[in-house]
Amino acid sequence: MTNDEAKQKLLLYRGAIDDADPQFAEALADARRDPELAEWLRQQNSAYNAIRAKLREIEPPRDLAETIIRRPAIPFHRDWTQLLKLAAVVIVSASVTAVALKVLQRQNRPGAQGREILVRGEVLDMTCYIAYNLSGPEHAQCARDCIRNGLPVGIKGENGKVYLLVGKTKPVNAELADYAAKIVTIKGKESLRDGFAQLQVEEIRKF
Amino acid sequence: MSADPEFENLVKLYYRDLYRFGLSLTGSEADACDLTQETFYIWANKGHQLNNPTKIKAWLFTTLHREFLQICRRRERFKHEPIDQATENLPEISADVVDRLDAQTIVNVLGKIDEAYRAPLVLYYMEDLPYKQIAEVLQIPLGTVQSRIARAKVRLFQLLNETAPPIKQTQ
Repeated sequence: MTNDEAKQKLLLYRGAIDDADPQFAEALADARRDPELAEWLRQQNSAYNAIRAKLREIEPPRDLAETIIRRPAIPFHRDWTQLLKLAAVVIVSASVTAVALKVLQRQNRPGAQGREILVRGEVLDMTCYIAYNLSGPEHAQCARDCIRNGLPVGIKGENGKVYLLVGKTKPVNAELADYAAKIVTIKGKESLRDGFAQLQVEEIRKF
Repeated sequence: MSADPEFENLVKLYYRDLYRFGLSLTGSEADACDLTQETFYIWANKGHQLNNPTKIKAWLFTTLHREFLQICRRRERFKHEPIDQATENLPEISADVVDRLDAQTIVNVLGKIDEAYRAPLVLYYMEDLPYKQIAEVLQIPLGTVQSRIARAKVRLFQLLNETAPPIKQTQ
């Protein structure tokens, strides 16, 4: 084996962890005989250890482990009825939103246009709220993702009443995603469809 | 919500290594946190499917890597440089060059390397995994792992030497 061939082999050698790996045996034997190759290998190992040490200096944020441990996981594998329930809620909620928007857009019926009101309350991701009663700051990240991904968005007023938030001609998810789980005041037109309270958003005021 | 003690122990055992792997792949603290969280989230939902407890670490690394690849496909924002096929010129690097760099700079340099080469290189440096296990984690053949690490290492040395040129000794 030439020196260059030995170097190509030993480029992957990491020290003790690879000592038992037979692919390095011949090249290591060469390095024991050849001082120039031995010096090259010593430098390689020093560089390997220095880079490894630097990378292993990296520390995660202090609260990462706690965040992972406390994050509520939806136990899909434990109870499939929960998954089906969630899927049903998503489909029903999405359908309600889609139908409401279509009706507002195409028919513009007087019944869909209600009085203008102000509602102050928490912005909700309706899917998780209805299926699992999840809301509040601990659920903010999930709510933000759900709203951003187009799932129905709502607001729970200070009096406890929940409204589905809809836009005039298009969904308002993009405008509301950053306010997920935050308290805002929304000015809009209240309407009722099949007993479901809706608010057609006209203005969002963040506190 | 109270956590499962078994899950809590698993998180405490592996979250640092997974975070470091995530940071070295993405170069972003926020993305590394997201990947680490997502990995444990998937474990909470699917980990029961793993029958061999000795494979937990490899399973977690494989999952994080797979999630990273999905993010890459979705965002297409992680920059990388393709690596030349030839590795005949082996650049040298001294520990002194590395000592003058901080961990974040090394992570930034790793970010310039093509993802397909970066992941095996990071595992090569950070985890005491035999090559066969690195191949299992990344789900690519052993020979491919070794050739990618060799090429990536050459590229890393070139980039590190450019970032912190060796100090010339004066006579």
